[in-house]
Amino acid sequence: MLPRPQSHSAALGPGCTGPSLANPTPLGLEPRPVRHASQAPACGAEAFVVDPVALANGQPRKHTQYPYVTGTSVLGITYKDGVLLASDTLGAYGSTKRYKAFERLRKVNDACVVGASGELSDFQFIMRLLEELSDDDFCMDDGHRLKPAEVHSYLTRVLYNRRNKMDPLWNSIVVGGFYAGKPFLGTVGMIGTSYTDAHLATGFGNHLARPLMREKHRPDMSEEEATALMHECLKVCYYRDKNSINRFQLAKVTADGVSVSEPFALETKWGYKLFQDPAANAVGTW
Amino acid sequence: MAASLPMRATVPAAGSGVKQHASWSPYDDNGGTVVAVAGDDYCVVAASTRMSTGYSILTRNKSKILTFNPKCLIASAGMQADMETLHKVLHSRHVTYQFNHRRPMGCQAMAQLLSNTLYHKRFFPYYTFNLCAGLDEQGRGAVYTYDAIGSYERVGYGCQGSGKELIQPVLDNQLKAASPLVLPAQQWLSSLPLEQAVDLVKGAFVSAGERDIYTGDDVEILILTKDGIRTDKLELKRD
Amino acid sequence: MMKLRVPLLDGPSTSAAADPCGLQSLGVGGALVDSFPLPPVQDLDSFEREVVEYVKPNHGTTTLGFIFQGGVIIAVDSRASQGSYISSQTVKKVIEINPYLLGTMAGGAADCQFWERNLGRQCRLYELSNGKRITVRGASKLLANTMFSYRGMGLSMGTMVAGWDEAGPGLYYVDSDGQRTKGQLFSVGSGSLYAYGVLDEGFKWDLSVEEAIELGQRSIYHATFRDAASGGTVSVYHVTQEGWTKVRGEDVGELHFKYYPQPERHPCNSVDPLAA
Repeated sequence: MLPRPQSHSAALGPGCTGPSLANPTPLGLEPRPVRHASQAPACGAEAFVVDPVALANGQPRKHTQYPYVTGTSVLGITYKDGVLLASDTLGAYGSTKRYKAFERLRKVNDACVVGASGELSDFQFIMRLLEELSDDDFCMDDGHRLKPAEVHSYLTRVLYNRRNKMDPLWNSIVVGGFYAGKPFLGTVGMIGTSYTDAHLATGFGNHLARPLMREKHRPDMSEEEATALMHECLKVCYYRDKNSINRFQLAKVTADGVSVSEPFALETKWGYKLFQDPAANAVGTW
Repeated sequence: MAASLPMRATVPAAGSGVKQHASWSPYDDNGGTVVAVAGDDYCVVAASTRMSTGYSILTRNKSKILTFNPKCLIASAGMQADMETLHKVLHSRHVTYQFNHRRPMGCQAMAQLLSNTLYHKRFFPYYTFNLCAGLDEQGRGAVYTYDAIGSYERVGYGCQGSGKELIQPVLDNQLKAASPLVLPAQQWLSSLPLEQAVDLVKGAFVSAGERDIYTGDDVEILILTKDGIRTDKLELKRD
Repeated sequence: MMKLRVPLLDGPSTSAAADPCGLQSLGVGGALVDSFPLPPVQDLDSFEREVVEYVKPNHGTTTLGFIFQGGVIIAVDSRASQGSYISSQTVKKVIEINPYLLGTMAGGAADCQFWERNLGRQCRLYELSNGKRITVRGASKLLANTMFSYRGMGLSMGTMVAGWDEAGPGLYYVDSDGQRTKGQLFSVGSGSLYAYGVLDEGFKWDLSVEEAIELGQRSIYHATFRDAASGGTVSVYHVTQEGWTKVRGEDVGELHFKYYPQPERHPCNSVDPLAA
């Protein structure tokens, strides 16, 4: 077996520039020395390599043991012409609403968006990996780009490898895309658990929004119907998830490409009888 | 200072001693049940398609079966991420094998390869419970059962996963033949007609679906004969 | 090309740095076994303990072996359990290393199966490079060396290596602690104490072959009767100068009626004499 490069980006390796990508030489395939400074990744996969030396001697390496700045649920549904993803824009520090304009839905390329809940710094790191892949595709200039299923598969491997290193990326990620006339919707959890479905929700959304989706979702929904369903799901999540705010984004992927909406608020109604008297059906509470 | 984390993360708190935060485990059980029955000239393999975590259903339609060729496949329950990885590894090994040998891998070879692959992760095991099933060189049904770290055995029928305690006794009751260990040797493969075997498997899944929260939604059924693979689907209750 | 790098099987890996991405350890490239990847944790001991608790590998056994005037007898049950669940009643606990060597299986099923298969490979290589069969002494030492190199890493194996070589019959006990003991009579596993009781009572050097086989079978049967983790079928092997042969394979249920034709007269089932 030929040794494989540590990074998917041979172009960024020492002594390897453009042409080596098109015509891989042994030089391009030689493993490059691993630099153990994960806070300053040279590129790609190398960055999520854990320094074995740090593990072997003395002080334990400080893995992510607890998420700090987190995002809550991401929702996704497929419809007739594509996929919708939605989330709020909050980066919470514990229960503090610390960052209120954090965009958790990001475009990967013209066929794919990802959305993330969980530790947001880990998400930014993941986005850097995806951007490097997209940059490589751009440099190649052959019109090729990652398909949504490939992005999903790649992220599954990244998250699974990190759990194998006992150094997880603390995220649940949703990948939405549109390729070959078909919508794609998949998710990956922090230990690499992955699946695709017609509708998805991470975290609290799996309890709050998913039942609504199961009731109302149809694969042949129009964009209006899908948007309406998404708004309803977001509202339900907002009512019951204290770590969420009324500032949402909606990402749409269709054959025409990707669009991520400007943040918007939904009209809420807090006048429900049970909201005003939450203890009505809970005798013994105060 | 707390010693570093094996399965549960403990983080030193500011004040007193060690505080237990939200824990992290590299393992999760996503449930699911797989069954295989070998016959004289067929093999029936079935797997539920529900995927859960805790009390939540993640998806109702996740296949647990990887078909290598018309005479060999594996079905796995347990943790989905490990299952997916194991399937990817074996798939790649099967492709390499075909390049080197110019023929698909036989069931017996795959059974040994699966055992070795599982044992290779002896100290950080795949949390998967597998069946390798297919047709052997003589065209008879073959089923191999495994534990998570690769001990394996050829059997006439097998069941793995969250519903195994419910289904295995039913299969024992209907199919149990003499042990392959007895002397003088006796017939130990089930000699049920194919259609009856399929009905038995379906019945077993319907019953397991009533009592196991991790078995439900759909059952994917593959029927291997010398003519190839036929698929069937059984819809279970979705509650 | 697929390359078999077997020397790596002989000891645990010391370098985690060789393959930081874990690509090779996944077997993606086609290399068979590079080494067993260890989980990157500080406290391997408690990790392995928790893992065993979680994945519940197959366990539990009664096995025995003894040398007498007519050769070596090996007898085993066939049950495997995962916790309280009986995962199989048809486990083959005698591993046929080659026509002259047998290994038995107690403890973790996967550990025994894998390492005794590996022992078979090592013995075959010995034959090919030395032009003669390996001795029982040599074979058991190979296994013990392997076990010693993995000592403290959580392997679980209690095995007897039995066979015949130029020195005559041979019987060794080898376990996952690296212990290796030559002996005339052993019993290993959760039911071993029950088997020892019957075996010690009935053993004589001068036993005829038929008597010895019967003694082995009876000892295992009584162990399955009292030990919940043993059961299934009783298999008996006989090793002579000509190699091993399997001489018995009988279901425990059948044996019960063979030893106790009237089950109601069995001490466990009979009526209370004081009540009458």
